[in-house]
Amino acid sequence: MTNLSRRGIQIGVLAVVALVCLAELAMIMVWPDRIIWQLTFPPIRPWTEVLVDIAPGTAFAFAGLIAWSVRPRNRVGLLMMGVGVGLLIGLRPGMRSSSAFSETFSQIAIKWGDVALVLAGSLGVVMLIHLLLAFPGGRLVSPVDRALVRSFYVVVPLAAVLGTAGNYVPPEALGVFGAFSTAFFGYANALPNVIYLVCLVLGSALVIRRWLLGGRAKRRSLSPVFWSLLPIVFAFLPWTFMEVAGLFWQKPQIGPFLTPLWTAANLSPLLLVALPFGFLIGLLRTGLDMSSVGDLVVRLSDGLTPDQLQPALARALQDPSLEVFYWLPTLERFADLEGKRVELPGPDSERAVSVLGDPSTPVAALVYDSSLVHEGQLLDTAAAAARMALENARLQVQLRAQLEEVRQSRVRLVEAADSERQRVERDLHDGAQQQLVTLLLSMQVAKSEALRHRDRRVADLIDGNIAALRQALDELRELARGIHPTILTQAGLIAAIRSLAERCPIPVEVRDELGDVRLAPPLEAALYFVGAEAITNAVKYSNGKRICVSVGRASGLATIEVSDDGVGGADQSRGSGLRGLTDRVAAVGGRLLVDTDQPSGTTIHAEVPCA
Amino acid sequence: MPERVLIVDDHAGFRRVAGRLMREIGRQVVGEAGTGAEALSESRRLKPDLVLLDIQLPDLDGLAVAASLSSEPEPPTVVLVSSRDAVDYGPRLHDCGAIGFIAKADLSAESLIALLEA
Repeated sequence: MTNLSRRGIQIGVLAVVALVCLAELAMIMVWPDRIIWQLTFPPIRPWTEVLVDIAPGTAFAFAGLIAWSVRPRNRVGLLMMGVGVGLLIGLRPGMRSSSAFSETFSQIAIKWGDVALVLAGSLGVVMLIHLLLAFPGGRLVSPVDRALVRSFYVVVPLAAVLGTAGNYVPPEALGVFGAFSTAFFGYANALPNVIYLVCLVLGSALVIRRWLLGGRAKRRSLSPVFWSLLPIVFAFLPWTFMEVAGLFWQKPQIGPFLTPLWTAANLSPLLLVALPFGFLIGLLRTGLDMSSVGDLVVRLSDGLTPDQLQPALARALQDPSLEVFYWLPTLERFADLEGKRVELPGPDSERAVSVLGDPSTPVAALVYDSSLVHEGQLLDTAAAAARMALENARLQVQLRAQLEEVRQSRVRLVEAADSERQRVERDLHDGAQQQLVTLLLSMQVAKSEALRHRDRRVADLIDGNIAALRQALDELRELARGIHPTILTQAGLIAAIRSLAERCPIPVEVRDELGDVRLAPPLEAALYFVGAEAITNAVKYSNGKRICVSVGRASGLATIEVSDDGVGGADQSRGSGLRGLTDRVAAVGGRLLVDTDQPSGTTIHAEVPCA
Repeated sequence: MPERVLIVDDHAGFRRVAGRLMREIGRQVVGEAGTGAEALSESRRLKPDLVLLDIQLPDLDGLAVAASLSSEPEPPTVVLVSSRDAVDYGPRLHDCGAIGFIAKADLSAESLIALLEA
């Protein structure tokens, strides 16, 4: 909006206020001859009535002017001015009934003028609803609010205009409906006021709902509106009653006992004066204290860790729901502090988003309550202050995300290797082993045949081949077992370790604290291969007499511990065996410890997290 | 009347050799099956006295087939065989209802007679 049009609007609003005030003033001032411009003025109106007429509209207009100059980009100020102008010229146009007015203009002009004034007044009321729903951001966020306000802009002015126009249409003009016309216009005349009340009650209900559901930041700005609206809702109840009663009885018939109620109802618009200031205070309260950003700067200079950054920003912007997400350029997505992917809320959300940094390579995104939308300067200042810390945090998050990627890829690699080992073992079993076994059996049958024919020489030859074949089969079976032990998948970790122990040349004691519990296959495989490698090493290098293997599970960890009473000296960093096992255990989130710092022997301990 | 035998193995070469061994020890081979499902249906149809059952079958686990056979009204005697060793299967071998296990490499007239007459 250009400065010129801004100035035009401001002058226009001031002009309306001035004109209406002057007109009302003229009506309470008594000229000596009661004649001005050759016109006769109506009887003197009481001050109270004039005050009730002009106070709410004037208050809205002035509060709107202030709001608009303080928050030029926020539509709240414009809407407040609109409400003010509407109330001033439309709702209680005292001058409409003045004889001066009626003597100046023709009857037709008065009729159309009356309709125009009512139209302006009804638009003012709808703008009040619009204002209540759009406050404090100035924009209607939810689609429901938008639809509601749009329909009000159509229905309310239409009903108001129809109701007023009804006053000027003679019953005869309506033909067959003429018989009902008197009753109909009786209702129609009261209709606009009833609709205004319905609007006010509905709008108030929506504000109360938003206040109840809103976060701290929203309540902070809504509460002045809420508290200034509450008495109005209660004060307008008698008026509502009178209007609804007026639909059914002529007002003079209501009875003298309701007269105090009637007076109270007539004065109730004065309470509206508080509302624009409620809006103004609420709007100014969204203008958060810059000193909170000062605190943020102090905290930042003390050094904030990435996980302290979000609470610090939330505190500075006084929005506990504020979230910080970081841009991961390699993965081209936003992630939280843990490096997990997040989606930013869409434009229709109640949450607003500010992406910090160059749009093509953002640093971070702040997601916050939409009531902060118009705090652009404060957000920019806070974000600028936290820029370095956000950059650092982003790098850490990126590192975490990459580590997580690597960890997952390592798990996948180990799993792929395990399933490949299983496949190779199965292929050996189904193929070569099966063929050799059948061949062995055939040779045994051949040997029996040879013996039956008393051919000792052939039988001995076959026997030699059988022995060689047996040895080949044994070696093949050991090879297959080393690749992947079937018993591990068939019977679990303990059975597999016992099977290792049975085949071990030195005594192995197996302590089973796991029982029948089966662990996830990658965990069983990791622990099994630790056990197998440790036993093999103990047999090969320790010169020990005994080996002890303990398998257990406690506090969410599955463990295996292999100790021997040999010479010790195993080194985790040397040789590919232990190194590879350390990596394998780490791939499933566990760790491997080698302890040779004891009187004798070596203890290898591995633990993996299990659910 | 000789004992009637059903041989279950997915490897035709092994079924042939095992058939000869069975006849050698005086058993009558009444049928063969290549899968676990076939083993169950053939066993119900032929009512054999003895089933020589491979553990590694293409469809079902031989140990499960053994358990299923031993729960029949007139269960046959089941002898498990495998080209793997008993240590490869652990305790599961002992509670599946079979009377014993012979590694295929150790399968012979003597080992069969020893197990069946034990």
